[in-house]
Amino acid sequence: MALDKERLPREVVAMRVARELPDGGFVNLGIGIPTLVSNFIPDGSVVFYHSESGVLNCGPLAEEDEQDIDLINAGGQFLQMVPGMAFFSTVDGFAMIRGGHVDVTVLGAHQVSATGDLANWMLPERGVGNIGGAMDLAAGARQVIVAMEHTDRQNNAKIVQDCTYPITGKGCVSLIVTDLAVMEPTPEGLVLKEVAPGWTVEEVQELTAAQLLSAPDLKEYEL
Amino acid sequence: MPQKLDELSMARRAASELQPGQLVALGSGLPARVAEVAPPRAPLQLLSDSGALGYRPSTAGLAAVGPSLTGPDGVPVALAEGGSVVGTADWAAMLRGGHVDVAVVQPARVTASGDLIGWTTAATPGLFAPGRTVDLAAGARKVIAMLPHTGSDGSPNILADSSPVADGRACVDIIITDIAVIRVEEGGLVLAEVAPGWSYDDVAALTGASLSCADDLKEIAPSLEALNAEPPGKVYPDAPSAIRDIADGATVMIDGFGGPGGMAHYLLVSLRDQGTRGLTIISNTIGIARSVNFGTPPGKLAIDHSILVDNGQVAKAIASYPVSPSMSNPSSFELAYRRNEVELELVPQGTLAERLRAGGAGIYAFYTPTGVGTLIAEGKESRVIDGKEYILEEGLRADYCLIRGHKADTMGNVVYKGTSRNFNAVMAPSARITIVEVDEVVEPGQLDPELIVTPGIYVDRLVVRPRDFSPYE
Repeated sequence: MALDKERLPREVVAMRVARELPDGGFVNLGIGIPTLVSNFIPDGSVVFYHSESGVLNCGPLAEEDEQDIDLINAGGQFLQMVPGMAFFSTVDGFAMIRGGHVDVTVLGAHQVSATGDLANWMLPERGVGNIGGAMDLAAGARQVIVAMEHTDRQNNAKIVQDCTYPITGKGCVSLIVTDLAVMEPTPEGLVLKEVAPGWTVEEVQELTAAQLLSAPDLKEYEL
Repeated sequence: MPQKLDELSMARRAASELQPGQLVALGSGLPARVAEVAPPRAPLQLLSDSGALGYRPSTAGLAAVGPSLTGPDGVPVALAEGGSVVGTADWAAMLRGGHVDVAVVQPARVTASGDLIGWTTAATPGLFAPGRTVDLAAGARKVIAMLPHTGSDGSPNILADSSPVADGRACVDIIITDIAVIRVEEGGLVLAEVAPGWSYDDVAALTGASLSCADDLKEIAPSLEALNAEPPGKVYPDAPSAIRDIADGATVMIDGFGGPGGMAHYLLVSLRDQGTRGLTIISNTIGIARSVNFGTPPGKLAIDHSILVDNGQVAKAIASYPVSPSMSNPSSFELAYRRNEVELELVPQGTLAERLRAGGAGIYAFYTPTGVGTLIAEGKESRVIDGKEYILEEGLRADYCLIRGHKADTMGNVVYKGTSRNFNAVMAPSARITIVEVDEVVEPGQLDPELIVTPGIYVDRLVVRPRDFSPYE
């Protein structure tokens, strides 16, 4: 039974996403697994982080005794002051996003559809949610990568044919990296590109509510 | 014919239309000379499309910044104390947003209905760029046109007919020429003043439009004494006095990205203590610092919008991140929302920022790709432009804005600290009354003009936050 098999840890998902980031690119990381991505940038590669709290080139988090309320990232975490940091207003921060100046954003999701629709701002049962910067990132970043667990805690599929939750952006996701697989939404459907070690295509399909199309060069999760 | 006024006399007459404390945009040509006659220490903020805000001629005895800072005619100018430097988009936003009290321009012709004609003519469509004058004429609250009364061939520059082409329609309020001062009124042109030795008949004969004569026709004899009066100061003794006139039902912008940074806690607590009700709050969050624990010391609660919600003062929120990220730890606003006590208009964060910018910059609405295909797009006009879909979003303005700066000078110029700039700098131009809480107020000239983020023209009131004021209670 696929449900009992071991899935990849969050750090490995983040490590896989990190390989997708362009050397020298500007990157915006959402909260959850996306935040971990910054720990796994390959040696010799550099990325510059953008945060919609109004800072570019932000880096490591501050030590507990050096926290400054005027120095936070969009997740509300305290930042260290590092050389090359630039501060700007929210208008400029989002002009960078919508104007196509942010190369990649990595976001979490409640649901992603086979054609790349993203739903990550509201759980219908709550009736109210936070949009924050998600819709702007979905509409404006050059590339949107979703990094998440393949299913929710009850093993309900998060990768679906069509989103049933309110969406954040239509057809915006270009790559989905989960603890089971790497998939690419295309107009023809969801292409399965990589599978976690020890998992079969059939087992991944069982936990996916969209039809998976195996890529010609389908391979094991590549780090 | 009696003698005509020289350029500096015309400039003096134009300057006498100004009042202390005003922001005045000067065009090139004759208007640029107004800077030469304005008293050097008068509390007037002169604005050039080159980006100099609060400038004076380099001959005014002030330290010139150097050839990199020029006035409307490209001549090097100096910044007065409290002056700063703005980009072209900011210059235009000041005009369109209604922040410029007076614009002085030099068109080639003016009509009886106050149209400006100068750059575009029927004979030369598109040959001459009207450039900045279109923005100056369209945006300023009062427009003064300065021009010679006639052309070099003696033909009148003030015309009756509305030309088929104009660079601004019905925008001129007063015309100052080398022989007369003429008011543009609804019933037509009224001659208010004449140059020494000139009569109504002399002027009317050289005017191409019908001209009535003011009952109290005067000779042009401007005095600039009144310009040196000090306008009311912006520094208030404390937060309660700075917010006292916020009335029930007001729309109030409050910053605070999420955590305690960038939030005007002192003003916020005063607004709670004042008890003003029925407020519409425009903000990024509507109080999550209290539920999320951004470094809050044990036993304390963060001061955020929740204190207004808990006190029953909020009727509606326009926000991007209105509830706690955790469903099991709801904020005050979420609980009030579930009890149907408050309304919510949810806006994507970047759209919120741009709506505020547009509101402050006099842009009524804009197309954005954010939210296309989502619930946010419902009921909104959409358009496909170059193959991509956009939705129409409208600008936002408010009655009051409570923001948190780091330092300000007494003229209201503000600098921020770190990521606490975020929505503060965006909101400042978008409210009728902008109130800023800062750590320190300094004298004009003590902030580097190149580094000022919010120029004082956007700031109405300043309050110093007490040194020991805690963001937690």
